[in-house]
Amino acid sequence: MALESDLQLMLRVRDGDAASFEVLLRRYRLPMVRYFRRMMRDQEMAEDLAQEVFLRVYKSRERYQPEARFTTWLYRIATNLALNAIRDRKDEISDTAGDDCDGGHLLERFADPQPTVEQRLMQRDRERLIRQAIEGLPDNQRVAVILHKYQEVDYRQIAGVLRVSESAVKSLLFRAYETLRERLEPLLRGGQL
Amino acid sequence: MKCLETERLISYAYRLTDEPEASQVRAHLGECPLCRGIVEQHGRLDALLDEWKVAEPTPGFDAHVRHAVEAHQARRESWGFWGWEWARGLALASLGVLIIAGVVWFTQGRHRVGTPSAVATGQPPRAGGPQTPAQAAKLQSPTVTAPAGVRPAQAVPVQIQEGAFSNEDNDARALEDYDLAANFDLLSELPKGVPRVAN
Repeated sequence: MALESDLQLMLRVRDGDAASFEVLLRRYRLPMVRYFRRMMRDQEMAEDLAQEVFLRVYKSRERYQPEARFTTWLYRIATNLALNAIRDRKDEISDTAGDDCDGGHLLERFADPQPTVEQRLMQRDRERLIRQAIEGLPDNQRVAVILHKYQEVDYRQIAGVLRVSESAVKSLLFRAYETLRERLEPLLRGGQL
Repeated sequence: MKCLETERLISYAYRLTDEPEASQVRAHLGECPLCRGIVEQHGRLDALLDEWKVAEPTPGFDAHVRHAVEAHQARRESWGFWGWEWARGLALASLGVLIIAGVVWFTQGRHRVGTPSAVATGQPPRAGGPQTPAQAAKLQSPTVTAPAGVRPAQAVPVQIQEGAFSNEDNDARALEDYDLAANFDLLSELPKGVPRVAN
């Protein structure tokens, strides 16, 4: 039996079918939590916001109009929530800036790779450096990269989420990836990949 | 050979390029080691970014969502009759009261236009009546010219304050004074024994 489309499910949710909402929840819980975990530093808040997305979907089910893809709508709600939460926590960003300095030293360490028994710790550090590099991007570039790279959302759909043109999304991604290449160059030179 | 723009190469590296553009870039990469180097570098970056893993949702995630939805539903149902319906009724009733109050205020406001005393009493202004306090004062204290040698009746100075009299008072006094001024015969009021002063 073919999977029901998100659209069909959402229209049923609109008509009061709780089981269809349950299907949507199971289908998108993982992408939503992962999205917020990459957008936010505070992991607890990330999960709270992911829950809030589903609650908002449910609350606004009666007004739902199938004008765009369901996931475009879903990610638009999620992105707005994430960006608002980030803006509300500016102090966290300044904390990130402090970590970046530390990250510079770490990058130098990785520039000269050496076989080590601390492989797991190093892997954790590499992840931290990647996260910091992405966190350092402007908001719209960060959203574009996370949606494109990690959520595997097509750039045309990202344009719908951000309400910008497709060429604008391409431009955002181009600048973001180029910045990331520069910031993570020591890791790329490390030759561990 | 001229290299391609970096933007085109990056777009190709991250699969943002559609055909036939992608084929053109691919053909160029086969001949240009510099451009191929850039694309390969971004290929490595793409792989590096894959290393960033994030934790899965906590076990209670679904339960929390369900609980939040149920709580929302319960709140909504508890509002039911006393909720939205009641609030809507109250809003409509308030709007009705406001409209009625507005109509009354507007109607009354039209009648208040006139003298300050009229404003004070809410009386409509009358055509031909005193329009200003100064006019009202003039009507209330007419000057009677007595013949020479006769002491004129002492005019009592009247201090008029704005809004001190109602419009009805003003009208009544003006009418009395009018009759007095028109028909007052000073000589007939003199005692019989007093000789008339020759003009």
